[in-house]
Amino acid sequence: MTRPRVLALWGVFVCLPLASASRAQADAPAAAPQPRAAQESGEMAQRREHWAWQPLAAVEPPAAGHPVDAFVADALRARGLEAAPAAAPHTQLRRLWFDLVGLPPSPAAVERFLADPSESAWLREVDALLASPHFGERWGRHWLDLMRYCETLGHEFDYELPNAWRYRDYVIRALNADVPYDQFVREHIAGDLMDPPRRDAEGRNESVQATASWWFPEQTHSPVDAMQHQADRIDNQIDVFGKAFLGMTIACARCHDHKFDAIPTRDYYSLFGYVQSSRYVQAPIQPVAPNAAPYRRALALQRDLAAAWRAGPAEAAAPAAAPDASPGRGFALRPEDVRIADADEAERGWYLTGDAFGDAPWAEPFCPDPTAEKPRLVSLPGRFWVSAAAGPRREGTLATRSFPLEHRYVHVRTAGDHSRLKLIVDGLHVVRDPIYGSLHRNIDRPDAHWVTFDIEMWRGRTAFLQAIDQREPDLGDPRHNRGRYPDKTWIAVQVVCTSPHRQPPTTADGPAVLELDRARSTPQLDAALTAFAAAADALPVSPTVPAMADGSGIDSYVYLRGSHKNPGQAAPRAFLSAVAAKAAPAAQSSSGRLQLADAVLSPGDPLPARVLVNRVWHHLFGRGIVKSVDNFGALGDAPTHPALLDWLARDFRDHDWSLKHVVRRVVTSDAYRRTSGVQAASQPSDPTNALVHRQNVRPLEAEIVRDALLSISGSLDPQLYGRSIEQPREAITDARGKPGHHDPLDGKGRRSVYLAVRRNFMNEMMLAFDQPTPFATVGRRNTSNVPAQALALANAPLVHELCRRFADRVLAHSDDPTERLQWAYKLAFGRLPRAAELARLLPFVEAPGDEREVWFDALHALINTTEFRFRR
Amino acid sequence: MTHPTDPRPDGLSRRALLRQAANGFALLPFADLIGRQSTGGAQVRHHAPRARSVIFLYMDGAPSCQDLFDYKPRLVREDGQKFGLPMEPTQFNNRGNTLGPCAKFAQHGESGQWISDLLPHTARMADKLTFVRSMYADFSEHTNANYFLHTGHGLQGRPSMGAWIGYGLGTEAEDLPAFCVLNGGLVPPGGVDNFHSGFLPAHSQGSLFAMRGDAVANIKPRESDRRQRSKLALAQSLDQLAMAHDGADPALEAAVRNQELAFRMQTAVPDLLEIQGETPATLEMYGLNSDYEQTRTYGRQCLLARRLVERGVRFIELTCADTGGDRWDQHSGLKHKIARNCKMVDQPIAALLYDLEARGLLDETIVLFGGEFGRTPFAQGRDGRDHNPFGFTMWMAGGGFRPGVSYGATDEYGYKAVEKPMSVHDLHATILWQLGIDHERFTYRFGGRDLRLTDVYGDVIPELLA
Repeated sequence: MTRPRVLALWGVFVCLPLASASRAQADAPAAAPQPRAAQESGEMAQRREHWAWQPLAAVEPPAAGHPVDAFVADALRARGLEAAPAAAPHTQLRRLWFDLVGLPPSPAAVERFLADPSESAWLREVDALLASPHFGERWGRHWLDLMRYCETLGHEFDYELPNAWRYRDYVIRALNADVPYDQFVREHIAGDLMDPPRRDAEGRNESVQATASWWFPEQTHSPVDAMQHQADRIDNQIDVFGKAFLGMTIACARCHDHKFDAIPTRDYYSLFGYVQSSRYVQAPIQPVAPNAAPYRRALALQRDLAAAWRAGPAEAAAPAAAPDASPGRGFALRPEDVRIADADEAERGWYLTGDAFGDAPWAEPFCPDPTAEKPRLVSLPGRFWVSAAAGPRREGTLATRSFPLEHRYVHVRTAGDHSRLKLIVDGLHVVRDPIYGSLHRNIDRPDAHWVTFDIEMWRGRTAFLQAIDQREPDLGDPRHNRGRYPDKTWIAVQVVCTSPHRQPPTTADGPAVLELDRARSTPQLDAALTAFAAAADALPVSPTVPAMADGSGIDSYVYLRGSHKNPGQAAPRAFLSAVAAKAAPAAQSSSGRLQLADAVLSPGDPLPARVLVNRVWHHLFGRGIVKSVDNFGALGDAPTHPALLDWLARDFRDHDWSLKHVVRRVVTSDAYRRTSGVQAASQPSDPTNALVHRQNVRPLEAEIVRDALLSISGSLDPQLYGRSIEQPREAITDARGKPGHHDPLDGKGRRSVYLAVRRNFMNEMMLAFDQPTPFATVGRRNTSNVPAQALALANAPLVHELCRRFADRVLAHSDDPTERLQWAYKLAFGRLPRAAELARLLPFVEAPGDEREVWFDALHALINTTEFRFRR
Repeated sequence: MTHPTDPRPDGLSRRALLRQAANGFALLPFADLIGRQSTGGAQVRHHAPRARSVIFLYMDGAPSCQDLFDYKPRLVREDGQKFGLPMEPTQFNNRGNTLGPCAKFAQHGESGQWISDLLPHTARMADKLTFVRSMYADFSEHTNANYFLHTGHGLQGRPSMGAWIGYGLGTEAEDLPAFCVLNGGLVPPGGVDNFHSGFLPAHSQGSLFAMRGDAVANIKPRESDRRQRSKLALAQSLDQLAMAHDGADPALEAAVRNQELAFRMQTAVPDLLEIQGETPATLEMYGLNSDYEQTRTYGRQCLLARRLVERGVRFIELTCADTGGDRWDQHSGLKHKIARNCKMVDQPIAALLYDLEARGLLDETIVLFGGEFGRTPFAQGRDGRDHNPFGFTMWMAGGGFRPGVSYGATDEYGYKAVEKPMSVHDLHATILWQLGIDHERFTYRFGGRDLRLTDVYGDVIPELLA
């Protein structure tokens, strides 16, 4: 077949409204179903017989009573196994607290439950913990592992991903609110496109914040081959999408059909298109609804101001010529110039994020900052998109559609103050020197002028232009990596074209900026200015998050053997072919992620519910019903209890996809509450406890070790949310990109989920205790046993400091050594010391010597026992 | 030569093997050549090993091979003239004329290996060295290339070769980690992830030894030995009581054992670092009395590397000290900056090779020298060289490599590998082979795939082996 030239060169087909006639293919619906079966070998069809692709079985519990126990008992009976007895009440309670909220049980809870370990008391504890805000912190961290959550991009300079921490807070809030999981996943895939989005009580857009999770791949600042860089990034994004939501290793199909699963390589590139059609932005989370009164009022008063100026005496402004005296645009495109986007054609080719630019281009003079000491009126020739339409406080991004860089020059007619234009080539948002610096331009002139990009190095590639008016720096921002842009900035854009000519289209210059001299102004103008200033000032400044934004719909091609230099067959955007649910085609101006999310979450896709309930089981038992929690494919493990898995998944969907419901289901079972002790009778036939005849012993995760130390030493600050806590200066290796801010050794007592996750400056103690490095989905952490852990608990300054506070707390509790030890045990282990333990400890603490030191030693010893480090 | 291999069980297809073996490799009893006992790890042994340790002299920033090892008369002749071959895009795209070497070359030793006068000490060891003059890399940017050289993969998150080797072979050192990184001060671009365990168990990751302050995190007890012992004894007795009450578990028992290893490390690490017991001649030889601070630092690292090999550590990596420029990354000021790098490493490395051989350790220790890629034979600006992944030199010594030979070649300018090009995966495969490991069968299942250090590439290069 004859492919379009662009395709042959770069393997990407851009669906462009203005592209030449050879692009007839682009008119087909983006995700038209293809007759795939005909192209496939019988092997793919056979692979679809694999259990994970099958619909959820309609099973009923095999017996009365707790459904979970009915299924577990059924499997045990089939193998002639005996279930272990219930764990001691204190063990159950400590297990429940660590599993649900990641903290040791409070002494009050211990006393309460040990006094009355009844069934109803257990249910009360369960419900109280599910309602605790710490639930979201604990389970949020599990989720962050799946999303490879981090706050920097890694590589040489470890650039920050501004506001990544807001995503962490979003996750905690969502889990605490028990947002239905289907909604939660839809927000992750396409939260930026949901209309209406989910909003919090203050009206902030929650949905869009989930899309930050697309932006945790590592990125570098100067890839020699940007397209390769994009392909590697999208590979990571598909990998996480596949494993986290679907339990499928889709990224294995990058270079060839999946070796074992029903995932042809074409599926991989069908998903590739969704990501390639999407862009990075810092999205304001507090957009004012376009029809909200304060916002409309600010826009109207901006217009009134222009009218008042026009009505006033000419001497109100110094320059004699009225700025709109010569209507017209002052330039004309030449025949060779290719118009990419034009404010006169506002309805097509433009992508807006936030509401700074208003809902239409602006033709009137406008005042970018009415509260300035000397307000200025800017008049631009013709219609422009203006980011100060409602005053300076609203922020946003304006972008063009994607276009091929066919000519050597890109000309943009623009104006602005402390804002910037970026040409994003092959999806490379980290625009900076040494290679890409010329694609970033600071816009600091308030009069209409042309900015020209020489793209000789990138001829034939695909690009789009972004105009950015935001305080937050861009990725790898050349000027402001650690800081912010000034508050009152603006940008205006009129037209974007590509051209073989270095000279921009001709322009007639004219006066553009007027100082509004208040001493000489009219009362009407004064009043208009005052009114506009008040209205603009009343609009909130919105925080932003890293987010997805839609771009032109782009379908990829299968890259043969994974090389983008080797394009094969077209792969229109579509969901996995092995799943019955199909993604509806999207508009050409859209990525189609919303349709993708619908397919993922449709009843025809059994994977998300199965994968999620299995993760819950994993976190509550230390091992999933499917042990390979991120891989339900042929190379993954088969479910030990398939009927239970499907029953839980259906139960989950039937209960509005409620995570808390599933957790509650499981922890109220007898299976959950059994002892973890090895059972002599059952151990030989179920040595790995695959059939769950008992509970499992598990080490506390890195974060929980630290949180437990904070808790028992009385140092825990239970505050939720906020900017991340940095490591103390002495903990940071001297290397590029090191953080500019430091916090004290104890991290202000904040829970570990709030510790900064910087790729090149990972927290050594967290790593020693197996916190995963953020590069891929990790549903099942390593559980290693390394000397570094023992060294940390024996010698780390943090551990010593917290143990001292623990000792002081215990000493202050009572003068009686036995009472002190009882208090210490209650805090550290959630139980009272047994007689044999008191017999060891009392002589130790009553030995001669400084009392504080002796007690410090004894309590430090408690921290170094396996009982502290493990949850049984 | 022939290599003994383990026959694949009859009648099993490769796929069936993959499906069956959780970790993809055969578990065989491990009896070491020299009678040391290896513990931990996966105890992989596919054939009789030729070497048991690796010292990786990692030259961060990519040394200019045209100025050190890769002698090209045409490059000398055409210095300052227009470059005679098509030039690929480079990192900085500031491509100038041909740039001749900034040092003089001579042949050294009986083998007649070409080495420049920037490395006079190394030159004396010429007959010990196995040069690969046709290396190439897949990346021309530091971080990707560093990950690639260390992990066989250009992205962050894969296990480093030291982690693979430590994991695969276990350790012979009772009181030290299997993979130690002696950090001269410059953590390479990409950070400590160059030494990470990735998806392998966390104990496989490189333990960083700093050359200043405490060498190992938390290694220094914060109390007297007696006090710590009594505290840990109390903890262990409480553990015993708890396990008697609640039942024992392998994970708990392993944790207790680790506590004991950690306790021993508190003694072993200071003992390792205590080099005053070495003879004055040894200290002098390694450059510890040098007037150049960076030579003293690197000399200490080399000496510690030898001491780690003696203690049975599997994989030791040395990073460079800061010579005030930008690693070996000479985009400008090549002549004086490369001279400082050479002064830092030359004498210590020669001493290390000499010392290992004198102690009979060189035969069983692979010493590997090199950076993540090479540099352009044409100038960047006036007097620099840009990144060049298309051809560069690395050398090995000891560990059953053929001494005194050169393998492969670049073109007449030292630009691209043209004769017997050797990939990073080939390098990894060959090193694993010498350690008794078949790289294709040495896999670890993660995320549903059996992953290897060599991805799906790499060949053992028999011509390099004695």
